[in-house]
Order: sequence, then C-alpha cells, then structure tokens
Amino acid sequence: MKRSVPIGILYSRSGSYARISDACRTGALNAIAEINADPSRSISFEAIERDPAGNVDNYGPLCEEILRDTPARHIIGCVTSWSRKEVIPTLEKSGGTLWYTVPYEGYEASDHVVYLHACPNQHLLPLLEWTFPAYGRRGYLTGSNYIWGWEINRLARETIHAVGGEVLGERYLPIGSLDIGRMIEEIRATEPDFILNSLIGTSSYAFLKAYAALGAENPRFSPARCPVLSCNLTECELDDIGAASEGLIAAGPYFHDGSQAFVSSHEAAANAAVSTLANLLEAAEENTRLPIAALLQTPAGLQSRIDAKTHHTPQPVLIAQVRQGAFRVVHSGGLVAGDPYLSQPVPNTLRRLRAVS
Amino acid sequence: MRGVRIVDLGGAHAIILHRPHAAVSALSRQLLAVGLRVTTQWPVLEADALAADFVFFDADMGFDEQFPWQRGQAPMPLIALIGTEAPGRIEWALSTGATAQILKPVGDSGVYSALLIARNAFEARRALSAEVNDLRQKIGERQTVVRAVVMLMEQTGSEAAAYSALRSEAMTARISIEEAAARVLMRGLQPRDRKPTGGAA
Repeated sequence: MKRSVPIGILYSRSGSYARISDACRTGALNAIAEINADPSRSISFEAIERDPAGNVDNYGPLCEEILRDTPARHIIGCVTSWSRKEVIPTLEKSGGTLWYTVPYEGYEASDHVVYLHACPNQHLLPLLEWTFPAYGRRGYLTGSNYIWGWEINRLARETIHAVGGEVLGERYLPIGSLDIGRMIEEIRATEPDFILNSLIGTSSYAFLKAYAALGAENPRFSPARCPVLSCNLTECELDDIGAASEGLIAAGPYFHDGSQAFVSSHEAAANAAVSTLANLLEAAEENTRLPIAALLQTPAGLQSRIDAKTHHTPQPVLIAQVRQGAFRVVHSGGLVAGDPYLSQPVPNTLRRLRAVS
Repeated sequence: MRGVRIVDLGGAHAIILHRPHAAVSALSRQLLAVGLRVTTQWPVLEADALAADFVFFDADMGFDEQFPWQRGQAPMPLIALIGTEAPGRIEWALSTGATAQILKPVGDSGVYSALLIARNAFEARRALSAEVNDLRQKIGERQTVVRAVVMLMEQTGSEAAAYSALRSEAMTARISIEEAAARVLMRGLQPRDRKPTGGAA
C-alpha cells in the first residue's frame, strides 16, 4: 500500500498566459500519474488544485488556502514572477515550498522556492553572447510591464552597453495589451540588428505576427537580417503564433526535437519537480513535514542537484530557432549552474570593452 | 544618475557583528545565496575586519568600542540590524555611519537591496567628503593666489594681466591655479611669460 501525500497545484486555467500554465500543469499532472502508477515507488501524490484564473491577486489567498486547509506543504505552480512574489510571504509564514517551473529574471533565492527552470546566466547572457557576433550589437527591447520584462531588458541593456553596442528603443505593454503598433513603427524607423522580445502571452503573439508582416514587406526585417530573440518563448505557444513563428530564436534548457518525452521545457521542468519531490519525500515518512532546507540536507536532497545555497538547479544552455514550425537547436552551451545574483565572473566576450565612469 | 553597480558582489566579504542568533543564520543564508563570504564575530570586530567589504552590526546590543575605528569613520558600508526601534538605539545606529538597515526578525529577503543601498550611499558620502576636503583646501590657498597675483602685477602692470599670466602658468604645467600660485611665490619674481627686455635671451 502506497503512502499518499497531498501536493498543491496552483496554475491559472485561463487568462493571457494560460498556454504556459497549461504546459506546466500537464507536466505536473502527468508526472503525478507516473509516480502513482509506479509500483517501485512507496508513495503516491494526491493533487490539490486551485485556479487563480490569471488574476495576480488570487495567488496569495489560494496558496494560503492550500497550506491552511490541507496537509499539503509543497505547491507546484506560478508562471509570472509577479505571482511568485505574491505567494512567497505566505510560504514563509506556513513553511511551505513553491516548485517553480518557468524561466525567470534572477535576483531571488528564497528559502521557500525551488527554481527548476533557467535564470539569466542560463538564458539571456548566453543568448546575447551568441547573438552579438552572428547578428550585431544594436538591439531593440520589448517587454510586458512587470518585473520579468523590466529586469531582462535592464540586464540586456547593461550587457549591450558593456560590449559597445546600442539600444535603439525599449518599450513595454501592460499584460494582455495588443497595442503593438508603436513598437513596430519604432523598429521600422531604427532598423536594429535584433529584437529582444520579453512580452508574454497574447501581447507577444500579436507583436510577432505584426513583425512577421513587416518582414514579409521589407527583407531588412527578415529573420536572417533582424531576428526576434526570446528567453520565454517555448513550444507550447507556437500554435498561437502560427506561421509568424518562423525564424524566432529562443534560449532555454530544453527544446522538443520530436522524439523526447516532453513537448516543452515547462513539461520537462514540472516533471522534474514532481519526481524530485517524490525522491525527497519517499525516504522517510517524517520527511513530509520537513522544510525544503532540511530536505536538501538528506541523502536524496544531496543527490537532487538542487543547490542548497540558492535552491537553483543546473540547466543545459540551448539556443534554438524555429524552422518549418518546430524548434531546431542551433547552439549548445553545456550544463550551467544557476547563478541568480550573477556573482560568478562574466564571460570574456561580455566584459566591458571600455572603462565607463 | 549613475546606475547601481550590480555584478561585483560575488566573493565580497561580509562580517556579521552579532551574538549567535536566528537572525545571524537567516542573514548568512541570504548572503551566501548572493555569493558573498560570511564570517560572524562577537562581541568585537577583529583586526581583519578592516579589510571586509560590508559589516552588519547589531543595533540592539551594540556599542562604539566594538569597532576598530573612530565613530562614523568605518572604511566600508555598515548595515544596522535593528530589533528595538527605540529612538536612542536608532540614534546610536545612525552615529556609526550605517547607510542601510535590516529589521529583525530577518526573514527570507531584504539583504540584497540593503547591500546595494548601503554601498551606493557609502560611496556617495565618500565622494562628497573628498569634494568637501578639496574645496576646503582651495579656500585655504586663497591667500597664496592673492599674494602671487600681487607679485605678478609688479611685472605685468595690471591685475588682469597678472591673473592671466598665472592661469597660463597653470595650464602649461597642467596644475591648479593654487599650485601655480605657490610656484610663483617660491620662484620669486620670474613669471614664465615675462616679456624679454632688450636683446638678451
């Protein structure tokens, strides 16, 4: 008889970024089904689901509801950094842990979060390092109006300036806004070497379609001459973007080549979250009551590859381009440890070329 | 305004001046996650503290003799760990020259922003005090300039010409007007741009 352990699932089933939530949720639920069906596992998981419906103000209360009304101590969930920051105080108060399975902007190492996707030294910096010699150093930056876009673009701006490049424009839209006309006009006027797109969800889809139309009209804006780069674009959104996705370049820890088990990095990360959690909790019954910091000190914790200091994980650095409707890996930078505060030395190719006072 | 420097905290050395306490472990955890080296000292800072990059100190139980420098003269940014928000303790914490604070109990966050804010304010204060020293010195040297101008007037005939001779001396030697004035006085009556008299060179 398996020991049943409840775990929380906190993903929005609707709203602007529902595609990503769905991918994460599918990955988590499939992984739970695998654990439950695996006769070699001594535990099974019972999913306790809450749906914040894409409203950031629902995350804190629903997280509290799970931790207060159920015995679940671990929650797999959150897509935006905004929602993650909303649940951290609740996790801290109740000793809960969030397993976070999407890329984020770094500068966080909560004792109550496990970060299972890439942070900037695993996505943005290698992406820019690869882009500069291939396309140039003159960039246009876009983003949704919250911490992800702001911080990714700040770091991009600093990196571009450090190598003597130029930022030709930087513009933000509220989450869900489709008002992309001005960005397209600015890009047309400034003719950058690349566009770094940190818009999310429907804003991003609208922008990419309009930019593809511009590229069809003027080859100066074709993927070969001025590609769109992203650290948050994954397979789960390609259908929404349609033909406009051709030529998009993304950085991430995982791309689906058609043969692997998971269809996106979100599914892969959510699967890793559930199976790692199973390894940590399986070893002893009292483990279900231990905080994550103590779990990471157990033998299973030491084998988990979750860094005890930062709760980040090593991730493969891959850069892929959409070709004929699917991502093809064009560069592999190997497995890189998460460095959320960028306290490790910067690669030579991204170092300041000139003294800046 | 210049942006906050963000990339060079890795490997920096932080000292926590606090008795063993939950606040120390919460603080250490955050500092290690940011990439700093951490040591804890109590009740006084050792000599090696002079080389530390940041010092966090207990504002509740702290006193001046804990620090191996004069009050307010710390050579690195200080961050106060405040539990008791009593005016007397806050006054003392301010007198140390602390440029940021963290409230106890220390939770899951707050250290990273305290590091950046403390360092930024520390550097701004240091730059300002260097500028003040420089200006003070200039004021002190005002008399030297006046005496040099008076001396040069005997040669050049007018105050304007004397001042212009002094300025050209400073520019040629790439030194300040004050330094040029001191040179003129040392050298006596031999300004560089004095017109040659007769045919003798």
